[in-house]
Amino acid sequence: MIIYIIRRLLYTIPIVFGVLLLTFVLFTLVGGDISIEIAGKGASAATINEIRQEYGLNKPLFLSWDSQFVNHFKSALTFDFGRARDREPVIDKIKRGAGPSLALMVPIFVGTIIISVSLALIIAFLRGTVWDSLTVIICVAGMSIPYLSFILFGQYFLAYKWGLSPVFFSPDLSMAQYTALPILIGIVTGLGGEVRFYRTVMLDEMRSDYVRTAFAKGLSTRRVLFKHVLKNAMIPIITRVVLAIPFLFLGSLLLERFFGIPGLGYLMIEAIGSRDYFVINAMTYISAILFVIFNVITDICYAWVDPRVSFD
Amino acid sequence: MTKNISSNCPYNTAVLFGVLLLTLGLTGCSDSPSDEEPNEMVLQSTLNTKIKSLDPISIRDVASSQVAYQIFETLYQYHFLKRPYEIEPLLAEGMPQISDDNMTYTIKIKKGVLFQDDACFPEGKGRELKSWDFVYAIKRIANIKNLSENWAYLDNKISGLDEFREYTKSCKSEEKIDYSREVEGLQTPDDYTLVIKLTKPWPQLVISTLTNAATSPVAEEAAVFYGKNIISHPVGTGPFKLKKWQKGSYIELVRNPNFRGELYPSEGESSDAEAGYLDDAGKPMPFIDKIVWTFIEESQPAWFLFLQGKLDAKAIPKDNWDEAMTGAGELTPKMKQLNIHLETFIEPSTFWLGFNMEDPVLGKNKPLRRAISYVINREKFIELFFGGRGLVAHGFVAPLLDSYDPDIKRYGYAEYNPEKARELLKEAREINGGDIPELKITLPGTETFYRQMGQLLRRYLNDVGINVEVECMDWPTYQEKVNTKSVQIFSAGVTAGTPDAEDFLAMFYSKKKSPGPNQFNYSNPEYDKLYEKIEVMPASEERIRLYRKMELMVLDDCPAAFMNHRLAYVLRHDWYKNYKPHVFGYGLGKYRRIDMRKRAAYKELLKTVK
Repeated sequence: MIIYIIRRLLYTIPIVFGVLLLTFVLFTLVGGDISIEIAGKGASAATINEIRQEYGLNKPLFLSWDSQFVNHFKSALTFDFGRARDREPVIDKIKRGAGPSLALMVPIFVGTIIISVSLALIIAFLRGTVWDSLTVIICVAGMSIPYLSFILFGQYFLAYKWGLSPVFFSPDLSMAQYTALPILIGIVTGLGGEVRFYRTVMLDEMRSDYVRTAFAKGLSTRRVLFKHVLKNAMIPIITRVVLAIPFLFLGSLLLERFFGIPGLGYLMIEAIGSRDYFVINAMTYISAILFVIFNVITDICYAWVDPRVSFD
Repeated sequence: MTKNISSNCPYNTAVLFGVLLLTLGLTGCSDSPSDEEPNEMVLQSTLNTKIKSLDPISIRDVASSQVAYQIFETLYQYHFLKRPYEIEPLLAEGMPQISDDNMTYTIKIKKGVLFQDDACFPEGKGRELKSWDFVYAIKRIANIKNLSENWAYLDNKISGLDEFREYTKSCKSEEKIDYSREVEGLQTPDDYTLVIKLTKPWPQLVISTLTNAATSPVAEEAAVFYGKNIISHPVGTGPFKLKKWQKGSYIELVRNPNFRGELYPSEGESSDAEAGYLDDAGKPMPFIDKIVWTFIEESQPAWFLFLQGKLDAKAIPKDNWDEAMTGAGELTPKMKQLNIHLETFIEPSTFWLGFNMEDPVLGKNKPLRRAISYVINREKFIELFFGGRGLVAHGFVAPLLDSYDPDIKRYGYAEYNPEKARELLKEAREINGGDIPELKITLPGTETFYRQMGQLLRRYLNDVGINVEVECMDWPTYQEKVNTKSVQIFSAGVTAGTPDAEDFLAMFYSKKKSPGPNQFNYSNPEYDKLYEKIEVMPASEERIRLYRKMELMVLDDCPAAFMNHRLAYVLRHDWYKNYKPHVFGYGLGKYRRIDMRKRAAYKELLKTVK
């Protein structure tokens, strides 16, 4: 297994290199010259040139040990992403935003999985009944309603009209107080698609011969569902769940914006809006690394839950 | 079997939902614990963009300025009540002594002004302000290592400062820079005198630069102590000091106990006494104990918070216009029942549809540009996109500026006249040697507002036979295109920072073409000569005459179809006092006062209003 993990980790090197090359090409070559913006409104051509020199934008792009790409590569490998456009270290921004983003996204993620897998199991068992049809209709309706509508209605009714939650972040509120409503909205919004997906997965398993055999042998419903069906459905569940984890790091732009949660979703969008390549580069790089790591974890989990999958 | 399932799995799900709803209930039902003192006077405000920095060298955007001006002070400020706007000394003892050649400014600095207490000072006690602190602040802007956006204000203006900037380029690091290196144009004969020598006369020095937070004094101790982290550790002389800044979320300022106790103004406009703006005349400021700004970008939560009384004032969001205002332009009964007041005022801003004068089709075809200008119904545009909250821009100099010509409408440059446009188009086709090719309008946003604006402009131009393509793009891409002269027709605007229109006139000076402020890439040698004359000319009737002459030259050449000036509609709660609109000042927190009794009564009032 260790050799397998090492081999998989070695595969990540060209992937990370590719990500670095891609972000460099996109932001340096396609994105254009940022020195004009940094220089500020009304800056002279000489000032713009000075800034270009200060940022090393006048250096060769690739073919030198002191080229822009080599410096970009070095800073990524050492996780020294420099300073953002507002001169704050990028890594400080990321550290600060990670907490609120995860405080929002982890409960949404865990809540959505538990509720949707549980519901999917029940619905799969009740397949063909009116409850099944009703759930499918509600799920489709939930998937069809835009995310923003859930936020707007949730904030209007639950927070503003009925006073069940604060409308927005406030310095004198605890994190639990100002994240409760966005977490609820996040879970409800995600349920439609998740329940539909897991219902399909469970139905595939419920139609298998081993389920009929298990019931024929007289096993209880709980044992059949949780011991056999759920375990066999783990491969698609793991694929979906583990690969979603790296994206938790990116937060939720809309929930963060509407409820004043200073997370990474907003940081990323703000950086894109202001062409803060230092932040965009760092976020892209960290996301890519996380994605690669969790891909490896997914593969390990496959072998762990399913004896048919071998490390060879 | 079914019973088995329904008694277990749904139970888990229900428990989870229950926990969440309970959390909601608990968080919502209990009034949030507050760390406010019972009688603490807190100003609750909002910012809709994040604060970039609280280091004077980087303060240029509105959000940072709104906060920074409460902490830092400048040599001069705009009077809070007097209109037209007047400059008055703030940290300066009086107005500057200006040499006969208008090249040397001698400024006496108030004695006894203390920096706030901070760990950067010995024993944490703020020391007295000295003239060197101003010199140091200006040299920090010049230092290339700081990459200050504010360098554009000072570039080639102060004698010897550009040489100092050159010197900083040769230094390997910030630590190696010797700030005591002499700069001829920045001298401190004693601790309370600052002498600024210019490279050429600069009449805007006081009204624009010395009122700007960029030039506020910086204690060298703070810059050395905090290093690059000074962006989050402002140390000023102003009425407030930073208590807490949760970046991207909120910022909290509290009274600076070292503040010298500036007095509320006793003079203003004739109507100020009746409006209650002179009730606090002669009293020491500030009145409030704390200012809290919450960063809220979306209008819906900000509007709800305002109605809940958790924000003291709020510009009316577009989507909530009907809830706040009647068709007759008055507050709705609900707003009146809540004792909400409306403040309306003109913003010194101008928005336009610009033409790139280096474009081969538009640049040499004045009739075409004029035709496009005549074909736009500006009144309809303002009604559709701003709910009528705007004025037609008949010229580019914004209202409230000294040289604004209130009768500029008589020249008819913003007239809606499709017939005249069609006539001009015939001429335009002759100049072009055939039909006008499809033109491209570039808009600085992808949201509905810009897409709808594009549709309206396309319809206007199509009506007279001009084909246009509209491209909507994000702000950075748009800026890049404008800065590299890659646009044909573009939408933009500007808001004045001072009552002097020199900034507006600079937008048409040929030596400031893109990426400079002349985004039209307009070039007119006669205009340039006049600009070089007024640039160094002190304020006078003659200068106003020249300003207006230059404006007409531009309007006649039509490098842009000037569209509108903005009107602001701001709602404020009854308890928010001394809220006189001020378009050139940011350091207004010290004047504000909160009627705590009225604020406390609002919760009850809110229950009675549906």
